[in-house]
Amino acid sequence: MSTLFGHRAFLPCIALLAAFAALPVLGLPDYWIYTTTIGFYYAILTASWSLLVGFVGRISFAQTAMAGLGAYSAVLLSQHLGLSILGGMIAGVVIAALVGLAIGWLTLRLHGAYLGLTTIAFAEILRITITAEHGVTKGSLGLQAPALIPDGTRSDYYYLFLAVTVACLLAMALLLRSRVGLFFQAIREDEDGAASLGVRVTLWKTLAFAISSAFAGLAGGLYAHFIQLITPSMMSLQEMGFVLAMAVIGGFHNILFAALGGVGLQFLLEVLREMGEWRLVVFGAVAIVMLRFAPNGVFGLLASVFPSKRNKS
Amino acid sequence: MSLLAISEQALNGLIISTLYALTALGLSIIFGVLRIVNFAHGEIYMLGGYVYFCAASILGLPPLVAVLSAAAVLMAAGAVIERGLIRPVHQGKVDRPDEYAIMITFALSVFLLNLANSVFGPWPQRPAPLFRGRIEIGELIVSGDRLAAAGAGILLIVATVLVLRYTWMGKAVRAISQDRGAAEIFGVDVSRYSMLAFGIGTALAAAAGALIGPVFNVTPVMGVIPVIKAYIIVVLGGLGSIPGAIVGALILGQVESFATVLIPDTSRALAYKDAYGLVVLVLILLFRPQGLFGKRERRA
Repeated sequence: MSTLFGHRAFLPCIALLAAFAALPVLGLPDYWIYTTTIGFYYAILTASWSLLVGFVGRISFAQTAMAGLGAYSAVLLSQHLGLSILGGMIAGVVIAALVGLAIGWLTLRLHGAYLGLTTIAFAEILRITITAEHGVTKGSLGLQAPALIPDGTRSDYYYLFLAVTVACLLAMALLLRSRVGLFFQAIREDEDGAASLGVRVTLWKTLAFAISSAFAGLAGGLYAHFIQLITPSMMSLQEMGFVLAMAVIGGFHNILFAALGGVGLQFLLEVLREMGEWRLVVFGAVAIVMLRFAPNGVFGLLASVFPSKRNKS
Repeated sequence: MSLLAISEQALNGLIISTLYALTALGLSIIFGVLRIVNFAHGEIYMLGGYVYFCAASILGLPPLVAVLSAAAVLMAAGAVIERGLIRPVHQGKVDRPDEYAIMITFALSVFLLNLANSVFGPWPQRPAPLFRGRIEIGELIVSGDRLAAAGAGILLIVATVLVLRYTWMGKAVRAISQDRGAAEIFGVDVSRYSMLAFGIGTALAAAAGALIGPVFNVTPVMGVIPVIKAYIIVVLGGLGSIPGAIVGALILGQVESFATVLIPDTSRALAYKDAYGLVVLVLILLFRPQGLFGKRERRA
């Protein structure tokens, strides 16, 4: 299973990063810079979801709910406790991580469809609560958030999001390349077997949820202060389905591929705008076909065409 | 709340529970035979509503025929879905089949929801009613189409239970849900019956959607909440248990109506209406994952 930054993948990764860094300099219009910035939000979400589902084998449909939790916590805490924007975002990450920890611990005994249903229930309860408590959250009207970079241009946000995305991907890649990554994959392949070899299954299964949620919470906090208006619809199951499609199309057994799926699809969505809602139908259909016939995703397929350039899975 | 208002509320709750039970029954049959939860079940229910709308309002077919055509069309669609997407799970053609089944049915739900959104638009469609007029029971007034929907729903549930109980086909389906391998040894064509069970499951969801369509209008997102209720119901009753699905529906109906009464702030009580069942779902999964009637199963 290829992880990010195997030494063969090093050069392509640097080239990719350079390409993304060059886009605004090469005169990408403001609108597309904005679109790609939102793409980076999805990149962090798809990568963090893939960390949990693709590497630990724990299905969760609460990833966008965790992003929403991070976003709402960041904005509400800085409003009510007088925290700075950055302080609020850190608090958002901590809260998302703690709730992730709780969900991970509570659902330790659950597998497959049962786990999926429980995470759907958690996500929906959270969304319903945020919609219902309009005294605090303004309900479905949405909550206003201050700008992260006062007087920031589109490319300021672009570079900030790019930097955070790269940092998140590096952190996930290092985690997965460490012993912990092996523990994760051992749990995914055979939990009982892993336990019998001394892997602390309970600990890592719980922590995986917390880690994955923390990244989602960070993405949500950033997104809130970039968009400056957050609504409960960012936590809907429809949005979760969209993140799933992005990760699957990119390739959810590789953090980088999943992230590229997130940015790539967000960008494509805007390019294909004249197709209207049909583009979502196409993405759904592509996700189904990929799951069935090419579980390594588009980038996994590309990588297998150039086997010398990347680690083979 | 007056007695009249309470009984009106209770009757309406009962009518809706019948249709949740019908949806849940379909989910339960699919789980029983194929050991997968169909995460696209709500979208099948929604498509049932749209097929009914096309047949009754655009083609002008009689309502009963329109309901039956919704069930038939989605039964065929269900068979195709089983054949194309679910069968690989049981033939060992995919890595980590549990994960695959969950993800592919979830992706299917995204696909179908957006398909309906693209074809029909996000706005609600109002199909022709099943039955016009109102029925008065003493002082209680119920609209005819609600009662007709519930009546047809009960009829379908009873018919399904009888078919499962007494026909060869029903026995084969139950045999597979007890032990797939043993059923095969005893000469049951497992893959054919899997396709059939998936088709029956989708047909029941489609019928529920078709019956409720004229009552609440048809929209692309109409399946999201009812299918979550159906998940709660089948988990309550035990996944794959047929009596469990029916008892689960009755319990959920009561939980929702009582929880709404227990919160004094009415607008808040209504806003949280869909959350009560979810809390019940989480509690059951955490403390009795096999449900009330289900057999203990550690992996699914």
